Parts: sequence; C-alpha cells; structure tokens
Amino acid sequence: MASEERTREILEALKDSVKDFEEEEAVKWAKIALEEGVDPFQATMEGLAEGMIIAGDLYNQKEYFVPELLMCSDALYAGLEVLKPAIEASDRQSEVKGSIVVGVVEGDVHDIGKNLVKIMFEVAGWTVHDLGKDVPLEKFVEEQIRTDCDVVGLSALMTTSMLGMPEVIRKLREKNPKVRILIGGAPINPEVAEKYGADGYAKTAGTAVDEAIRLLKMLRDEEQGKQAV
Amino acid sequence: MNSRERALKVFKREPVDRIPVFSGYGNITLHGLEQHGWNFCEIHTDAEKMARVAATSYELFGFECAVVPFDMGVEAEVLGSKVNYYPHRTDVVYPTIEQPAAETVDDLRVEMPADLAHAGRVPVVREALGKLKERLGEDVVIGAWVLGPYTQTGQLVDLSNLSRAAYKKQGLMNEILEKVSTFLIEVIRLYREAGADYITIREMGAGPDILSPAIFRKLVKPHLERIFSEIDSPKVLHMCGDTNMIIELLGDCGADAVSVENKNDVAASRAKLGPDALIFGDIDAYNVLVNGTPEQVAEAVKAAIDKSVNALWPSCDIWPTAPPENMRALMEAARQYGKRG
Repeated sequence: MASEERTREILEALKDSVKDFEEEEAVKWAKIALEEGVDPFQATMEGLAEGMIIAGDLYNQKEYFVPELLMCSDALYAGLEVLKPAIEASDRQSEVKGSIVVGVVEGDVHDIGKNLVKIMFEVAGWTVHDLGKDVPLEKFVEEQIRTDCDVVGLSALMTTSMLGMPEVIRKLREKNPKVRILIGGAPINPEVAEKYGADGYAKTAGTAVDEAIRLLKMLRDEEQGKQAV
Repeated sequence: MNSRERALKVFKREPVDRIPVFSGYGNITLHGLEQHGWNFCEIHTDAEKMARVAATSYELFGFECAVVPFDMGVEAEVLGSKVNYYPHRTDVVYPTIEQPAAETVDDLRVEMPADLAHAGRVPVVREALGKLKERLGEDVVIGAWVLGPYTQTGQLVDLSNLSRAAYKKQGLMNEILEKVSTFLIEVIRLYREAGADYITIREMGAGPDILSPAIFRKLVKPHLERIFSEIDSPKVLHMCGDTNMIIELLGDCGADAVSVENKNDVAASRAKLGPDALIFGDIDAYNVLVNGTPEQVAEAVKAAIDKSVNALWPSCDIWPTAPPENMRALMEAARQYGKRG
C-alpha cells in the first residue's frame, strides 16, 4: 500500500500527464499506481479525470484549444486502458452511475465534442451507447427504447443542425416521459436548452457528467417519491 | 445609387448613400424556395434551380446580392469526399460530408483534377453564376465563396485527426495546406471567370474556438495570405465565432474586408483595425433573423451601425426559416438608420 503522501504524488503525476498530454507518462504512472496499490478508481477519478477537468478549464480560459483537448483525452484513454481491468475487478464505481445514449444529430458530422463527452462518462463508470454522428432523429428514440438508458445526450456543432433537436426531444418524451435529456454543442446555450424542452445543458464535457448525475439523482428521487406514495 | 453600385463603392471605400445589406454566403429563405416549389435538397445540383433560388432574396426583399453555392461540399467533392444531400428530407438540412476523401492526413492525396472547370459541381456553380450575372448583374453584386484552406481540409479528412495533426505534424500539414490553397485559387479563378464579382473565403474551422492563435498564425495565415494575394478584389475573409483574439491577424491576411459574427466585439475590433478597415457584420443570422421580432431585427441593425460596420452582413448563412417580415425589417432598418453623410 502506498503511503498517503506517495498516493498523492501518484495522483498528481496522473493528473499532470493528462493535462500536459503525455500519453507515455499516463501509462507509466497508471502502472505505478497499480504496482503500489493505489485504488484504481481513485487513480482514475482523482488522477486522470481531474487532469481532464483542468484541461477543460484551460480550454474555457482560451489557453487550450481543440487539438490540446484531444491530446489530453488520448493521454486519459491511455491511462484508463491500464486501470480499467483493475477497476472492474475491484467492483468500485461512482456512486451515481447510469447509462446514456449519445450522438450528433442528423445534418451534422462534427463529433469531437460528443467524443469528449463520451470519454468523461466512461471515466465516471457510466455505460455509454454511442450512436456516432449524423444520426437520424428516430434513431435516438429507437436506441433509447432498446437500451432503456437513463439519459440521452444530443450534440450539435452548427446552428443548422441544432434545429432538429426539439423534434427528437418531443419524440423521446412521447415514448418515454421519464428519460432525461441533455444537450450541448457550440450553438447551444441555457436559453435554447430551455426553449427546446431539454432537462439539462452542458457547456463542456466535464460539466456534462455533473449535469447528467444531477438529472439522474432527480430521476431516482422522483421514483423513490412515487414508491413512498 | 443602386444596390450593385452601393456594394462596389463600399469595397473601394468610396462614399455611399446608405449602408449596404448583403452577404458573402448563403442568404436564401424558405419563402424564396416556395416561390419555385422545389425541395431544399434539389437546389445544390441543378444550375437553373440554384440560380433561381439565389435570386429570390433580392427579388422578394431587396437583399443586395445573389450568392452561390449554398453548401460546403462543392470543393471537397471534387477532391474525393462523398457528399450527403439528404434526399429523403423535405425540410432544410444542408449537405454534409458523408465520407471524407481520406481517414487521416497521412493518407490524404490532394490532386488537382485535369479539367477542374468540369469536375464535380464546379460547372453547376459556374453556370449558376453566369445566369445570375445575366439576370441580375446590373442590379446587384454576384458573389461566390469557398472554404479557407484549413476548414477545407477538414472536409477531406477526419476532423479529430486533422486537429491533432495541426499540433503534431505541422510540416505535413503545411504541405497539404499548400496544395489545397493552390486548388482553391483555381476554383476561385473559375468562379470569377463565370461571373462572380466578389469572393468570400470562410475559414471558420481555424478560429480561436478551435485552434490556438499561435497555430493560426504559423500554420494557416500564410496560406490565406497567399490565396488573397493571388485573387483579385473585391475579396472578403469571413470567420465566425469569437474572433477578437486574432482580429489583427485576420485583418492582415490581404482581404479587402473582414466579416465577423455577433460573438465578435466589433467596437473592440474597430479599435484594433483602425478607422479605414472594412468590417462587415454582425447581424445574428439565427437568433435575430429567425427567432427575433421585426423590432429586434431593427435594433440589431441599429446596433451594428453604431458599432461602425461598413456593410450589414448576416453572421452566417441566413437560416432559411427566417420569416419574410424579418427580412423586410432588415432592409427597412438599413434604409432608416443607415444613411451616410
């Protein structure tokens, strides 16, 4: 077992490897974490994922841009590959985890944002069903029913493709009133999200997970409320 | 002074009676499309339909230009990407790249077709330009546009791969951008020859929402400079997103005018570019022109004029569901608030 101080050092190195997009460092420190007995779930959440959150902040501050974010996510994935088997074996996962269908709406082929969101959900231990890009509207509805997922995340980069969102949202609700819908992408803002009838809006990949957890908690509270009645 | 003279005078920095209202890219409306009864997906591949619809914003509202093409796939298709026109959709969905020419920048081969004038839809756009020139050439300026070299390359390969390469493989990227630029210069030459009065280059994929100013300066700007130096005036550089970080770089690419969207703080841009620079903008093409009321459209016009834009340009393609009353309000407000002298 690593001492508390050593654990902190390892977590810090994992975080920096993602933030500085050093894939090899991420792999190296993930292996060290396992060798020295650091909880692999903690190494993921407080190490790798924390680095990605910092990268997201740097993006918002216009210090990082899309290439940097992608390279950070490469490092995160590389580290995660090492830690994943140990996480699965340890049975530890995030407290509130659910399942999500993600995709970019039809008419839009830009999927970088969606892919970053997907990574963050995977890191948080969610089951992610990725429909890809340019997804026909009815496909979201079909996939939601097929997987019975808790949350559907819709992404659009362009104003032009964002306009398909209200219809998907309406159809999803028609089929399954309890599904929670999260939208994001460059043209989306909280006002648009509200106007379109989405439950949540995420500005960045990092906040998408927080927002989804909030929605999921809300959903579960509602269900418990019903059972209590 | 008619619409054509007004726009051309602005490019030459000569006095005009009022601010012109035109655009460097798509400005058609569903209202215009309905005049002809065609589906949106039909108008990208047929020169007559393309020209007829491109003329409608002038014919119906007095919008002061006619611009083709409407979609971002024309050049990419010539270079080997497969375009999806969404023929199954009867509503407005713009064509997209279904299958890029190559998966990665390492696999991409940019080759100039032997007969570019007859490759892909280049002849369709050229024929449409000719028809517009013939029918409206006395009344309004006829415009054509292409994507800038970096954004264009994004239509040829996987975007994630391109983004990483912009950081990690700048030597290779530079070679690719060089070839794509040479290709674009030829496309522009053909559009000009066919009747385009002015050319807009849209490089929105290389802005600070995506690439760092450092990479833009080092990797993209030299190619934009080369393209602008090899094409005749009038020529415009358009970039959407928050472009204040690089506005001086944009102003230094060799275009006659820089077109920005409403996320750009035009007053700040003006302060940096100086009183003589031509800045076009910044009427929000969706939130105002589609979702706004005619009063809000008029306010946006007034605000843009107060911020000293030299021509009222929509921030992007006018989204076709813009209601006729908003298009009329746009023109009316320009007449009301845009008097000069």
